[in-house]
Amino acid sequence: MDLRNILSEIGKTDPEVYEKLSGRRQVLKNFGSKVAVAALPLAVASMFSKAYGKTTSAIIDALNFALELEYMEFNFYHEANNVTSLGLIPAADQPGFLAIEAHEKAHVTFLITTITALGGTPFKPNHYSDATSAPPYIPAAYDFRASSNTVYAPLFANVFNDYPTFLIAAQTFEDSHIRAVNGQMSNWAGNAVFAQMQQLLATEGRHAAFIRLIRRNLGAVTAPEVPAPWITNNIPPSFPVGSTVTSGNIVLQPFYNGEDNTVQSGIDISTLTDTGSPTGYVPQLSASAAFDEPLTQTAYSSLIAPFILP
Amino acid sequence: MKILQSSEINRMEELEKIPDPSRRRFFQLAGGMAGAGLLFSACHPVTKPTDIYLGSGDIALLNFLYVLEQMEADFYTKAVTGLYLGISSNEHLALVDVRDQEIGHREYIKSLLGTTNASAPVITNFSNVNFADRTSVLTNASVLEDLVIAGFNGAAGLFTNTSYPLSFLKLVSVEGRHSAYFRDALSHNNFADTTVVDINGLNQSMTPSVVLASAQQFLTSRFDSSNLP
Repeated sequence: MDLRNILSEIGKTDPEVYEKLSGRRQVLKNFGSKVAVAALPLAVASMFSKAYGKTTSAIIDALNFALELEYMEFNFYHEANNVTSLGLIPAADQPGFLAIEAHEKAHVTFLITTITALGGTPFKPNHYSDATSAPPYIPAAYDFRASSNTVYAPLFANVFNDYPTFLIAAQTFEDSHIRAVNGQMSNWAGNAVFAQMQQLLATEGRHAAFIRLIRRNLGAVTAPEVPAPWITNNIPPSFPVGSTVTSGNIVLQPFYNGEDNTVQSGIDISTLTDTGSPTGYVPQLSASAAFDEPLTQTAYSSLIAPFILP
Repeated sequence: MKILQSSEINRMEELEKIPDPSRRRFFQLAGGMAGAGLLFSACHPVTKPTDIYLGSGDIALLNFLYVLEQMEADFYTKAVTGLYLGISSNEHLALVDVRDQEIGHREYIKSLLGTTNASAPVITNFSNVNFADRTSVLTNASVLEDLVIAGFNGAAGLFTNTSYPLSFLKLVSVEGRHSAYFRDALSHNNFADTTVVDINGLNQSMTPSVVLASAQQFLTSRFDSSNLP
């Protein structure tokens, strides 16, 4: 193994490799003389995990945040599918929502298993006491009506009695759940968890598209913004025409702020050549829709706070 | 003497880096007596000089993803050029939008690669697709989308430079949206069945070589993926 060759190779794609490793220059100097040959692979592995990976606790903390979101979604769909109001979801759409609930349940189990395997303590929602179901259904932990929202309350007064309201909530949760997990991905860079969480995000993308399609097919009266299966700029779901909710869009806007970004890795996608487009460039709307954008944990925690009971 | 393509020159350089004593000795022996073209074919009798060389390491992974996005962009370009019979305005809008999104993905990856590292453009083969037929277009679109998602997922853990997968995860959930749309348009509620989502609720993942082999059904181009991780 020639370490300088490895560094040189990485340097071709990541010019900052030497800076990332700069704190470990002494380690590099020591390679020729003091470090036993048998210890080399381990020392190299450790050096790279420090430069590119995160500490195990950062990995676990981020997984626990993802777990918190999955618990919330599972409880949301479990309530809608099973408990409050049978008949909320039309029979034609029921198989889809049962599949989504099953996926969120599987995500909870998967994350608990992963966190435990990494030596962490899995997150538990408030009022966690149910030992009979895994993951537990904990109605005391959530208020999906958002009765205490400070701008407009209750935001989703009829969330489990009125299908359009339920769909607005579901679309908001799915789209922003993707954004929130997206915002955690750097914590898993270089770890096997990264690819698995990307797989999880692809599944959530499927959920979001399904819900958006249902809303679009319900028509412009029920879903005035006529949603595409992907996020159009930073447009939140609109409440139905004639809805008594007057400030809903203001409340939902922060869930979508920043989604209109078109710049990826310093490259503005809307300036790239697209011979199919009338302008000759990728249209701004498509450039924005082609990528889901991250939200920070701090931002997202405050957005979902009204749905979580103390 | 044969003039080498730049991809072949890259390939020669890659071969020289391989720390295989027998291969190195072979190079030393062969170097004095054979032209580079002969040497090239003698080393790798399986691949042909016309194969598109993908490179090695992160570059190979980027080129692999570039192949996938070219394949998608070309499919939707053809679908929009000759719309299927009876297409609704909503479905027309969606097809155009997906085409432009995939072109955005394609050009983005091409930009990341740069002109030096980007492999030659691929030639697609959609002869088995009936672009005049809605079912054929939607079915093949969902096959393509599922394959591309599996490829991005399989590549995610293989990069040396982790900033690449970090930049791609933002488009993978969007590919999930595309797939769900075409699947649901074909058969309602079928947006995430057990063929693409496993018991952990995780979307399918496949290694780059498996995905590339499967993608050949849509591609005339052949590839030298000998150094694809």
